[in-house]
Amino acid sequence: MGAQGMVFGILGFLLFATLANCNTEGDILYAQKQAWVDPNNVLDSWNQSLSTPCTWLHVTCNNDNSVIRIDLGNAGLSGSLISQLGELTNLQYLELPMNNISGGIPTSFGNLTNIISLDLQWNALSGPIPSSLDNLYYLKYLYLNGNNLTGSLPVEILSLVTSGSLITLNVANNSLSNTTQPPQIKVTTIIQDLNIISV
Amino acid sequence: MPNFRSPLLFLILISFFCTQLSCTETEVEALLSWRSSLKDPGCLTQIWSFNTSSDSCQWHGIKCNEGGSITNLSISANCSIDGTLNKFNFSSFSNLTRLEVEYKQNLHGEIPKEIGTLRNLQVLYLYGNLTGEIPATISNLSKLTNLDLSGNQLTGSIPSTILSMPKLHFLALSGNNLTGEIPTTIENPSNLKILDLSYNHLTGAIPRAIGHLTELTIFYLDNNELNGRIPLEIGNMTALRDADFSYNNLQWEVPTTITQLPNLSILYLNNNQLNGSITPDLGNSSYLKAIDLSDNKLIGMVPSSLCSGGALRYLRASNNSFNGLLPITLKNCTTLIELKLETNNIRADISLTFGVHPNLEDVDLSQNHFYGRLPSNWAKQIFLLSLGENEIYGKIPSGFLNMTQLQLLNLADNNLTGDIPEELTNSTSLMNLILSNNNFSSLRYIQAPSLESLHLSNNRLVGRFPLLQINWARLMTIDLGENNFSGEIPSWIGSSFPVLRILRLRSNKFMGNIPLQLSMLKNLQLLDLSNNNLTGPIPNTLSSMHTMTVKTAPNQSYFALHYVHEKNIDLIWKGKEATYQENIALLTGIDLSCNYISGKIPDDLMKLQGLIFLNLSRNQLSGMIPQNTGNMTSLEVLDLSMNHLSGTIPLSISHLTYLNMLNLSHNKLTGQIPPGSQIQTFIPSAFSDNDGLCGFPLPNNCSTQNNSVVPVTNEAEDHKFEVIWLICSVILGFVTGFWVYFGALFWKNSLRFAVFHFTDKVQEKIMKWFV
Repeated sequence: MGAQGMVFGILGFLLFATLANCNTEGDILYAQKQAWVDPNNVLDSWNQSLSTPCTWLHVTCNNDNSVIRIDLGNAGLSGSLISQLGELTNLQYLELPMNNISGGIPTSFGNLTNIISLDLQWNALSGPIPSSLDNLYYLKYLYLNGNNLTGSLPVEILSLVTSGSLITLNVANNSLSNTTQPPQIKVTTIIQDLNIISV
Repeated sequence: MPNFRSPLLFLILISFFCTQLSCTETEVEALLSWRSSLKDPGCLTQIWSFNTSSDSCQWHGIKCNEGGSITNLSISANCSIDGTLNKFNFSSFSNLTRLEVEYKQNLHGEIPKEIGTLRNLQVLYLYGNLTGEIPATISNLSKLTNLDLSGNQLTGSIPSTILSMPKLHFLALSGNNLTGEIPTTIENPSNLKILDLSYNHLTGAIPRAIGHLTELTIFYLDNNELNGRIPLEIGNMTALRDADFSYNNLQWEVPTTITQLPNLSILYLNNNQLNGSITPDLGNSSYLKAIDLSDNKLIGMVPSSLCSGGALRYLRASNNSFNGLLPITLKNCTTLIELKLETNNIRADISLTFGVHPNLEDVDLSQNHFYGRLPSNWAKQIFLLSLGENEIYGKIPSGFLNMTQLQLLNLADNNLTGDIPEELTNSTSLMNLILSNNNFSSLRYIQAPSLESLHLSNNRLVGRFPLLQINWARLMTIDLGENNFSGEIPSWIGSSFPVLRILRLRSNKFMGNIPLQLSMLKNLQLLDLSNNNLTGPIPNTLSSMHTMTVKTAPNQSYFALHYVHEKNIDLIWKGKEATYQENIALLTGIDLSCNYISGKIPDDLMKLQGLIFLNLSRNQLSGMIPQNTGNMTSLEVLDLSMNHLSGTIPLSISHLTYLNMLNLSHNKLTGQIPPGSQIQTFIPSAFSDNDGLCGFPLPNNCSTQNNSVVPVTNEAEDHKFEVIWLICSVILGFVTGFWVYFGALFWKNSLRFAVFHFTDKVQEKIMKWFV
């Protein structure tokens, strides 16, 4: 009897949790808008009262009204990236090059399991390159060049070359320290199969 | 002459003077010392001053009793004092009955506890920027009748004894930052006539003790965070006239006891979480004037007795789940001015819903399941009429149209048929005519001069462009899409629509050229001419459409405001159809797809730096993509697919950092696809069916392919070359055939005989058959 009650209780809680729908994708993007400084008003259309962000400019959704692209290159944005961006699980293209975005790359980006292109080049990002990015099996293009990133390039990310989809990795023009060469990946393999610009 | 050196005599003299001058020294001293404590005494410097004939009791804002003691102290609004009450010596003013500091001056700091010593105080009004908590000592003011501390920044809870003060009949604490719960101990019976606790952060439930408020006429609790039930005891508040509980988190049902209230006039319960259904008797025993139940979770029938008192003017119940509306509810409701029931599930016959309503001005029944035919002659004064998204059928009856004040008419998304009557299309008052998504089949020319928006899309309308060449000074939106309009787009369009923002003619049978004069539409934001039979070139003057040349300006609010009455614009971009509402104000785009447009893409088009989407697909465009396409820096969508475009893709396309949709497929493009991190994000199908394209993301490399070396030939030259070949081969064939035949006959006798013999035979046979 008690066990049954507990099962129902848990199920009820789970049902409630899924229905609660706390942070919709629109809420996440709106929170990011507030964390950014937008002198050119490019985010004017990011109106939180709309039911989905799919009619917002610079946002593209799939047929299920889930965000798949964010294109804001050269938009004059500053401020930092919020970690909730990692909850946009259907995001495939995050294109934010040539802004003045500062702060660190959120480790939650390791949760963007569908990401294909992550373009953060030419910003003012600092801190380390999170090793959680090694989770991104479908990642093809990773542009982190032209920032103030420190630490070393996590070796796990290089594994995305052999066991993931990575074909372009650019970490040039940062403040990275010497990267340790993983013993099992030959240097020649990298040059042939990977457009590694420079480290 | 008195001897002043005698102190006793001096004292007697002074007290004699004091009595004659009607002042109490301690009180005057207290006033003056408080004034000197103020950072800025404002007008008090002049008002509280002694000149030869004035004493303190004659100062402006001061009143004394017969004994010269101050009873009234008021400081008016334009006095502009700046200071606190900290140095106000309350205990000096034992006879003070009224203390009023009016609004809009900087009285700040906390309310001192000592205020409780004003034992004769009856009226206390303090406005300003007072902070801190309401001192509990206020409850010691046993003679207090009026307490108004509205519009300050007071925090903390309402003192628990405040609703037990026996003589209090006016209590207003509105517009502060008060938290905590409403005190549950209320004097029984209470003398309170007006209680206003609105615009605070009060939590908890409305106490059941409100049943003791039997004298209360005005009860405002709106704009707080109250939850729980509305107590049944509300039925005991027999004097209640105006009740506003809106904008809280009140839950559960509306108590049936509310129907007992004989004097209930205004009831605002909107913007809560109320559920369940409302008893039909609501309004039966009172003279209800205004009721607002909107934005809750109410179900069942709209209460049918709301108008039985014969006084109902405002009925709002939108955004609920009401499912029925009995005819009796509104049939005889002649006092009705506003009726808002939109966004419910109401299933009712609209032809039975109304009687005659001479005062009705604003009706919104949209987004329900109203069916039946439109009634006629029911509301001559109506301004705003929205019946969209229902199941109304039949024609617009002629009696419907005596509405000479009509400004907004929204009948979209119904099953209406027949004519769009001339009375509507010629109405001088009409500003918004929204009839999309019906089956209307005909209309006369539209010449409603006040028109701001015209939505006729998705009907069966035929004929030529239906607007007359008048000065459409206000028209901002024209949506005629998805009909059977034909003929040319008139050239006077450019000069007749000075403020036009949206021109949507998609999916009709318009033909001829796109008029050059379109470029005169300086304010045009959306131009959608897709899916017609248009021919000829793209005008090369479109860069004059000024709004498309500037990046979105921060102040779009003017345009956005006009969309208060607009519902939807359907656009197809980013590959799928989307319905735009408020965001439409920030969108700019040109869609000329699915026509027979030819010629080159004009370089001029690239000056449209504000353009967000450009769709020229499925036409017969030729020539190269302009080199400076990269100048359209706002571009998010670029679709040039299914044309005859040739040449290379301009390198400048890689500058378009906002581009999220690119389609150049099915053309004759050649050369390397421009490199760049933005272009990399597009899949190969964006470039497919272009024989000459190479490079990433296509699988074929440029350096190892013949493709990349194919000379760039002009499409027109290719065509000419083909024609010449055709003519040559025909001539050659003819010459060869002639000489073979003639030569054979000339040289071979037997062949000649055989041929002529055969010819004779055939001729005989044919002649036999005729004769």
